[in-house]
Amino acid sequence: MNAHTWRKFRVLMATQFAHMTVYRAEIVIWMLSGTLSLVMGLIWMQQAASAPGGEIGGYTARDFASYFIATWGTAQILVVWVAWELSFDVRQGTLSPKLLRPIDPFWMHYVGHWAERIVRLPLMFVLLVIFAVLTGAQYTTQLSHWLAYLLLVPLAFTLRFLLEYCIGLLAFWFEAAENFQELVWVLYAALGGLLAPLSLYPAAVQKVAAFTPFPYMLGLPCDLLTGKADLSDVLRGFFILLAWTVGFGLLRALMWRHGVRKYGAVGA
Amino acid sequence: MPVPTTDPDITVRAAQLRKAYTVTEKEPGFLGSLRAFVRPNTRTVEAVKGVSFELRGGEMVGFLGPNGAGKTTTLKMLSGLLHPTSGAATVQGHTPQKRGTAFLKQITLVMGQKQQLIWDLPAQDSFLVNQAIYEIPDAEYRATMREFDEVLDLSGILSKQVRKLSLGERMKCELAAALLHRPKVLFLDEPTIGLDVNMQERIREFVREYNARFNATVMLTSHYMADVTALCQRILVIDGGELVFDGDLSALTSGPDARKTVRLQLSRPETAARLSTFGELIRLDGLDVELAVPRGEVSARAAAMLTHLDVADLTVVDPPIEQVIGQLFRSDKKPEPVKALA
Repeated sequence: MNAHTWRKFRVLMATQFAHMTVYRAEIVIWMLSGTLSLVMGLIWMQQAASAPGGEIGGYTARDFASYFIATWGTAQILVVWVAWELSFDVRQGTLSPKLLRPIDPFWMHYVGHWAERIVRLPLMFVLLVIFAVLTGAQYTTQLSHWLAYLLLVPLAFTLRFLLEYCIGLLAFWFEAAENFQELVWVLYAALGGLLAPLSLYPAAVQKVAAFTPFPYMLGLPCDLLTGKADLSDVLRGFFILLAWTVGFGLLRALMWRHGVRKYGAVGA
Repeated sequence: MPVPTTDPDITVRAAQLRKAYTVTEKEPGFLGSLRAFVRPNTRTVEAVKGVSFELRGGEMVGFLGPNGAGKTTTLKMLSGLLHPTSGAATVQGHTPQKRGTAFLKQITLVMGQKQQLIWDLPAQDSFLVNQAIYEIPDAEYRATMREFDEVLDLSGILSKQVRKLSLGERMKCELAAALLHRPKVLFLDEPTIGLDVNMQERIREFVREYNARFNATVMLTSHYMADVTALCQRILVIDGGELVFDGDLSALTSGPDARKTVRLQLSRPETAARLSTFGELIRLDGLDVELAVPRGEVSARAAAMLTHLDVADLTVVDPPIEQVIGQLFRSDKKPEPVKALA
């Protein structure tokens, strides 16, 4: 990274952080509204507590609590809204000033999302501790697993960002790209493990899911923290995520190149 | 392929530049929606129909035309936002639609007042982002800001949240942000729209000084003719996507269809019908009258007015440029499109 690139990153991060702090209250509300996995956790905990043997598919009530709290925390880091922003920019013409700058708009959005994470993280940690204490959730104490988690999650975020970016770029060809985003979110939630651990799904669904990136984005990091996955799973998952990331990176470049030709620059 | 430019002094060149859009049309109501869903009705609209011109380094050119004439579309093609359907353009030797870094560092396009400033932060933050993105050294950044501050009087507003700035303050910041990297080519699309007279003058002064200081090429569209007459000697007029005039401002007012304005102060009221027999009635306000007459018949018509009307005072002036342009578009005998560049 040369001096100019480092300076761009530093200034963009500082500015985007300042921008996000303006919306700190909204970010907290947004964070609290994304509690689907916690609700699912409560349902599964209740079911496990009343099940014969006190477990379902190898998960006790406490295992479910640990899993779903980890899912909630990880999903907070994987939140991406770039598809909505891009679609708006293309439709409203507000992409124009961004196209006039000698920097790919991708980087502004990418850095902006990370800056938002910095605003989001402090309260997220507090809530995670409270949830864990209240439910008795337990996590691995192995440092290597935590380090592997910290390696996996940024890669998973980057992949999800690229996937959503590609969805946003569909606005060059379709009126509203957000509709595609909803469809992909359902797959992400179901196959990623937001609704239930993937091991509880029918075998056929698990096989299909293995061909998608979603279980490695969300379920795998959570399984790692709760002791249901080991470092060999991480290694495999990491390379699968990397392959998907490269694939979507190339797709994004291709879509951008062709999409910009269709840009009408209306309204601005 | 860039268009070969033989004259090294040419900074902007458009050769048969054309842009066509496909638009979808729909009839109103439920049935219209249903029909559009089953069989979308599309048609091609030619916004720009083969426009050709060249601008020299340091030239300030007014780009005029009625709404929907193709002004903004042309500027967007020249700044790389739109890909031309056919034809070619070069700006500072670059093909705009490739949007290369070297090209983007040499141009700017200002459209309206809400462009690149970050709405929720002070303008200063947007300037720092631009400084980093355009890789402007600290010393140059400080010097540029000092110069801009002298003309635009930015001190006191840079630390205010952009959304809390007045329209004029925001426009000053937008212009400063757009020119921070000292571009050599400026495309200004209605830079003074919505501003009060003093602020318009301030912006004009800023553009004039920038042009003089950096020998920048300026292409300006404006509905305020004062912008054009104050800044530009040469004007391009576009209508219906075709270039219909390219020449000096004075040539537009002295062509074969040129007219003069006769201002009369009458001693007693006259009817509009009677006044119209002496020329085209532009204004009738009590005893104050303005008539447009052919330039070659001014003496004869003025003499007739003095003979047949009760005139207290009569003056002959050049018509405002708004009227000249308006006449150009209203005329039954519209001007031929300007011949394409070889």
